Amino acid sequence: MEPTDEVLCQRVADRDEAAFDLLVARYQERAYRLAWSILRNTEDARDLSQEAFIRLYQSASSFAGRAKFSTWFYRILVNLCLDHRRKGRGWRLWLRDEPDPDSGESLLDRQPAPFADPVDALGRERTLTKLWVAVDRLAPQQRAAVILQVQEELTTPEIAAVLKCSEATVRVHLHRALRTLKKTMETS
Amino acid sequence: MANHPETELGPYVRGELAPSERERVARHLEACPDCRQDAERVRALLTELGHSVPVAPAVNWGRYRAELRLKLDARRARRRAWWSRPLPLALSASLAGVLLFFAVWNGWRSPGVEPMTPEEAIIGRRLDLLRQYSVVERLDLLEEFDVIRSLDQLAGTQEG
Repeated sequence: MEPTDEVLCQRVADRDEAAFDLLVARYQERAYRLAWSILRNTEDARDLSQEAFIRLYQSASSFAGRAKFSTWFYRILVNLCLDHRRKGRGWRLWLRDEPDPDSGESLLDRQPAPFADPVDALGRERTLTKLWVAVDRLAPQQRAAVILQVQEELTTPEIAAVLKCSEATVRVHLHRALRTLKKTMETS
Repeated sequence: MANHPETELGPYVRGELAPSERERVARHLEACPDCRQDAERVRALLTELGHSVPVAPAVNWGRYRAELRLKLDARRARRRAWWSRPLPLALSASLAGVLLFFAVWNGWRSPGVEPMTPEEAIIGRRLDLLRQYSVVERLDLLEEFDVIRSLDQLAGTQEG
């Protein structure tokens, strides 16, 4: 029987390298994908998701086991990403619809292609792309709440634990975010 | 109708509300067409978002883990306390020993003592005279004896 994430984390606290490798293998894709969804930059997503694993290794002993391991780990990762966006130039670049200085692509062009659906028309694809551009423009907490809900499929209490706020606050974040996104959909 | 459950519509369509809360929202939706329409929009929007999540660029996971391992090793090496490493510990102990030696030595010499001049060094070598203090005590007499002897010689030259 495979050990749970929580058991592995306790072993990491005892400096069990194999347990750490197993946790990395379990979470590497989710961590990278979540970091990329917040940052929209491959290099930064790789660096910060790796940094989250390093923090996990260093602070595994502080994981009390009261929360799920995934929630605790997501909190480390999301905090790193939000801090990075707060400090970095990336946030300003995304907020201003300026061309990327490296590639010259506009904000809309930098958006990845949405989930491929053969029956979708080009217009619908453009609409979905605009929708995700609107997600990128949300306030950091709203944006993180939306990504955690629709991409990682976390529940409201889990999102509250990751963002370290109350469930009521998460509901308000999501309500405001969805209201903004609804307006985007209506105008497009 | 007052108190529209705006912030609860998302959790409602996702089935996250507690039974009592869910019942309250459901009753409201039956009576409020605007909220009912809003709930449908929220449901459609969440479905759209869930089905159109952008796909992150591919990553070479073997390389990813190798990079992570290198970073972790580098961080551990940096975080290891400097005093727990053998070489810095030996160097630090040696330096501390040398400093301690000079501190004690300077203290023993007592600060403020002038360096010894060559004359003082010569006198210092003759300190054994102090052992014959009775002779030193009569040095003036010896000097007088020298003068007397010189007077004799002086008297001789004057006579000659």
